[in-house]
Amino acid sequence: MNTINKKMSLGQSLFSEEIRISYKGPVDGKIITFLADYIYVINELSEAATKKIFKIFFELAENISKYSSEKIKLKNGKEVGTGTIILKETVKNFILVTGNPIKNKDLIPVMENSKNINNLDHEELRKIKREVRKDNTVERDSPNIGLIAVALTSGNPLDIEINPIDEDSSYFSLAVKVDK
Amino acid sequence: MENISIEGSHTNFFVPSVDFNFETGICILSGESFLEDTIEFYDPLVQWLEEYTSEIKKPITFEIKLTYFNTSTSRSILDLLNILKEYEDDGGEVTVNWHYDEDDIDMEEDIEDYMLDTGLEINMIPFDEDTD
Repeated sequence: MNTINKKMSLGQSLFSEEIRISYKGPVDGKIITFLADYIYVINELSEAATKKIFKIFFELAENISKYSSEKIKLKNGKEVGTGTIILKETVKNFILVTGNPIKNKDLIPVMENSKNINNLDHEELRKIKREVRKDNTVERDSPNIGLIAVALTSGNPLDIEINPIDEDSSYFSLAVKVDK
Repeated sequence: MENISIEGSHTNFFVPSVDFNFETGICILSGESFLEDTIEFYDPLVQWLEEYTSEIKKPITFEIKLTYFNTSTSRSILDLLNILKEYEDDGGEVTVNWHYDEDDIDMEEDIEDYMLDTGLEINMIPFDEDTD
């Protein structure tokens, strides 16, 4: 059972839940903007939750597009990452779950950064975000900057799960809650 | 020096609208910013602002009305605001107005963080998205 299915099974055993978006495939600009626009028309989302999920969605989807180790070459010659994006609703939260294979060499810094992020409170996260944004040695589209922004917007810990695929890569799954 | 005018679009990526006018000194950046190549889009804006502040040297009013920008864009915004702060420190007259949805607490915090980062005073102007 893959990570996302396991997460979904766990969720189903604890809460009743509804899937609002489910997508698997290449994640390029066209898909990202299409799904982002769709978030705005989901009836069940309050205005505040919509804004938060919209922002979190962009960061997570961009990470799949750039850092998934499973790539698809499009007709325009561009290679884009593939992955899974699910938005589900439970009684108390909306949960955005993304999953994609990732090279193990890219995984270690992300894991370390995520652990640090989960140990910081809101004001500490704001401070770190400012420091990272000012640091020109950090790539502007580094996944770590995105994860800080995701944690700030969500207000909840990042729930990360790793399942090894082989000695070079693992399946990386991230669930982010937004309170209703 | 030429004005920059870019019509925003909302198709494969989200391109913000840009209206930088050297005759009036009014620069407007609005819409949503999620771009295929953030540096390619914002570098000309940074260069324009550097040229304006070093050659035109007239008062400048910078109006931001972005409802969404990704983290990649956030560094470009910092670059633009840093140029404005340097200009102000050198005696330039700078006004920055940032319009934001009054319900968007995350955006409000972002603006506050930009003030801390740059030392620039930003006029925070809330609007009601449902009526404005």
